[in-house]
Amino acid sequence: MEEEMHTDAKIRAETGAGSSPRGPGCSLRHFACEQNLLSRPDGSASFLQGDTSVLAGVYGPAEVKVSKEIFNKATLEVILRPKIGLPGVAEKSRERLIRNTCEAVVLGTLHPRTSITVVLQVVSDAGSGAQLLACCLNAACMALVDAGVPMRALFCGVTCALDSDGTLVLDPTSKQEKEARAVLTFAVDNVERKLLMSSTKGLFSDAEFPSSAKLGPLPGSSSAWLRPRRLRNTSSASTGNRCRGVTPRAETSWGRGPLPPPPPTHPLQPEANQRPSLASRSYGLM
Amino acid sequence: MAMEMRLPVARKPLSERLGRDTKKHLVVPGDTITTDTGFMRGHGTYMGEEKLIASVAGSVERVNKLICVKALKTRYIGEVGDIVVGRITERRRSAEDELAMRGFLQEGDLISAEVQAVFSDGAVSLHTRSLKYGKLGQGVLVQVSPSLVKRQKTHFHDLPCGASVILGNNGFIWIYPTPEHKEEEAGGFMANLEPVSLADREVISRLRNCIVSLVTQRMMLYDTSILYCYEASLPHQIKDILKPEIMEEIVMETRQRLLEQEG
Repeated sequence: MEEEMHTDAKIRAETGAGSSPRGPGCSLRHFACEQNLLSRPDGSASFLQGDTSVLAGVYGPAEVKVSKEIFNKATLEVILRPKIGLPGVAEKSRERLIRNTCEAVVLGTLHPRTSITVVLQVVSDAGSGAQLLACCLNAACMALVDAGVPMRALFCGVTCALDSDGTLVLDPTSKQEKEARAVLTFAVDNVERKLLMSSTKGLFSDAEFPSSAKLGPLPGSSSAWLRPRRLRNTSSASTGNRCRGVTPRAETSWGRGPLPPPPPTHPLQPEANQRPSLASRSYGLM
Repeated sequence: MAMEMRLPVARKPLSERLGRDTKKHLVVPGDTITTDTGFMRGHGTYMGEEKLIASVAGSVERVNKLICVKALKTRYIGEVGDIVVGRITERRRSAEDELAMRGFLQEGDLISAEVQAVFSDGAVSLHTRSLKYGKLGQGVLVQVSPSLVKRQKTHFHDLPCGASVILGNNGFIWIYPTPEHKEEEAGGFMANLEPVSLADREVISRLRNCIVSLVTQRMMLYDTSILYCYEASLPHQIKDILKPEIMEEIVMETRQRLLEQEG
């Protein structure tokens, strides 16, 4: 039998953004998620964000080819299929970003010499690459949770656009993306809201990138994932759109400056602030 | 012929309507379960910085000093002694196999067997230890999540309502008409293909719908719960059992009877 978790969430800032022209602030478009749709994969999820919708299926932990096996952890594989046409270089690049994000959160050491495959199918696409990446990240996370793959934390993908006068718009529409000076996509985890992956396109300065206060090494046994480095301005004018996919293992950069609005609370925890605190949940020894 | 159509609608969890607090601690990966370090960590958890953190989405279960998180949906993990029901999809093409097995079991046959051994990569080897295992003849197969089948001493049940059921640990449930007499000689490799009477077929259909409604409300499946659900569904027509409101009513009644029986 199917179990559906329909979560329709609309998050609006207290400043009260208007209905059609969204002002700056934490206002996201309508997003929805449904799990356990497909019968064959171990876990599946469909994520809808604005006009973009992605279907994800997770198979694993399963047998892995000897050539691909890693002796002490699981081999993670991501396959992204576009809505029309054959997968190309853009899909390969997104697959790598999603794979690196998933590898950072999935506890692969619990399943050595196995493979975990995430298959993503773009169902509808508004034509914006950055939105698609965020939607794929969310769908992959929900599908991994549905499959019961052990993870260190949940993660979400969010896109923001910086327009010419420096205002930050979360979850931009295609039109806003085209007119923006820079488009940034982030993957953030839910434990300490740390950055897992960032992919940027366009021109922005040190000050406009998230401040160092919120970024740092991931918790747990992992060594320092992120090392500080001075930001170089990425120019999009002559060289075209240079997409910098930064992985948690590679260097990333941050600067000082105003913090962008916090990412939305995860669809699985809409009532996060109403849940009882740890103090009231005491697992006293018998 | 009139047809009824229903559109999907978000349903309220059963516990809300019962008005009782389920007291289940639901977690998602990354949630802190407890900061007390005196506990041993079980499946679905990991230790991070003096805290016990969940690694799967599910409910926290505590047994004395062991804390584990039971995931909502799990793949079946074989254990020695489990009863499984399954369909033969592929077989080894070797000479001994041809001689020994071809006559009895073909590809596509549905069989019940017991787990003999588990390999390191998760594969299990099955054996039909006695004549009560083997090829399954006529009946209805229901596929449910393996986590909903309760572990019991025996998984073969002859229900008093007139049908028998095999609750496979892998989530495959086989409902079949109770054979009139135990056929010891024929054994488990001859499928009984005699026509099943209408009364038996109705009992089997009702049982199947009851099992589906229990699964929709995520209740554990075992002989008592299936039987109570069957008895609760008798006032309704078989095809009405799958309607959401009747399903809820039946399952609530089953739940209450089970609580009374325990308490």
